[in-house]
Amino acid sequence: MTAEDFSILALTVRVAVLSTLLILPVGVACGWGLARWRGPGRTLVETLLSLPLVLPPTAVGLLLLEALRRTGAVGRLLDRAGVEILFTWKAVVLAAAVMSFPFLVRLSRTAFEEIDPRLLSMARSLGSSPTAAFRRVALPLAWRGVLAGTLLAFSRALGEFGATILVAGSIPGRTETLALAIFRRTHIGQDTSAMRLVAVTVVLAFGAVWTTEILTRRRGRRTSV
Amino acid sequence: MNVTLAPLLAIFGLITLGTAAPAAAPPLLVFGAASLTESLQDIGRTFEAKTAQKVDFSFGASSDLARQVEAGAPADVFFSADTAKMDALEKGGLVRKSDRREFLSNALVVVVPKASTAAIASARDLVALPRIALADPTAVPVGIYTKKWLTAEGVWDALAPKIVPTLDVRAALAAVAGGDIPAGIVYRTDAATSKDVRVAFTVTNGPTITYSVAPLTGSKHLPAAAAFVAFVDSREGRVVFERRGFIVRP
Repeated sequence: MTAEDFSILALTVRVAVLSTLLILPVGVACGWGLARWRGPGRTLVETLLSLPLVLPPTAVGLLLLEALRRTGAVGRLLDRAGVEILFTWKAVVLAAAVMSFPFLVRLSRTAFEEIDPRLLSMARSLGSSPTAAFRRVALPLAWRGVLAGTLLAFSRALGEFGATILVAGSIPGRTETLALAIFRRTHIGQDTSAMRLVAVTVVLAFGAVWTTEILTRRRGRRTSV
Repeated sequence: MNVTLAPLLAIFGLITLGTAAPAAAPPLLVFGAASLTESLQDIGRTFEAKTAQKVDFSFGASSDLARQVEAGAPADVFFSADTAKMDALEKGGLVRKSDRREFLSNALVVVVPKASTAAIASARDLVALPRIALADPTAVPVGIYTKKWLTAEGVWDALAPKIVPTLDVRAALAAVAGGDIPAGIVYRTDAATSKDVRVAFTVTNGPTITYSVAPLTGSKHLPAAAAFVAFVDSREGRVVFERRGFIVRP
């Protein structure tokens, strides 16, 4: 591995960690909300939140690009505030966050739904505030699903490509993650060095999935006892 | 309260850590046409050694890079393979007319895989080929130049269905070098970077190719950006382009 390969790996991991941290509070809150809420608009909200999961990533990327570009709705405000997002590492984080968000929401929602609602009612009747009930009853019971969702979102963030290339370009040393570098190297004919990065991603992906498996399995055994 | 705030604080901490500017002058970001890759890297190294100003590059199709600049990419210098992309940026106020330097030119060539025996003596001979790799002729400068040439030769309509559009000139070169596509049209200087292709034909009656380079008005390091552009156009910079096979105009 060359120094360049290492810096690409470092950038990729850093971006995936940041994006996962960024969506963690919101994603868990959404999962919790959707699990508890029985209102009429629930399916609509759920569907909307899951869109990045089924839309082509490039479609999501273009929507983000249009919103954030200098002349776009959000872009104009950001420009005035002097905040640069597009084609910087922040755009890479944003694209990864948006694309991996549904994984976290769906998995944590399922985990929260599996909790016996009576346990929560009990906590509330024993004087717990809603936040305390969430923190001391719901989260300890659902952490396995939340963690699985977090790790899955992280894995998804590691490999994001379609939305990223549109909002962040593929600027070596600045916005170029593993997925982008593999593409760029292949398309200029440097297949061998691209293959080296493929090997890195295989190791990385293996680690992420392995960790998810181990963590969730161990917990599963404990509950069945 | 503390529990909910902790992760948020961690995020802001990480983000601010990430944005904290290093003590040295931040590196310039130069967006360059893919065909300029080796030349600009050479010039960048010399510039760094002389000025201690680091230069980062992003190479790609000029059309794609111009689009990124228009969307707000934080580039300091743009080096386009044509003048049209620069005109568009100038119209948008992203480049100043007086800052543009247009001294560099190139030539189109037809490349075939090294082992290929294909003989091409004119544009008409391309019609016999099943597929031709070409950077997207609707947007990328080299594709547009090529389309103009082939249209003037009267063979564009016959060739259009055979064109395999690529993202930039280097992708067309790679497709031919890999032996996947029997021919491609690239710049003479691109052909020279690959050991796996052979120049089968050099275009002598094509449209005039003119590169254009300028600092971007949105740059946060305008003096350094202007200095780099001046260096690229200096005797020292021009020699590098000449050595790589570009046509350097006086």
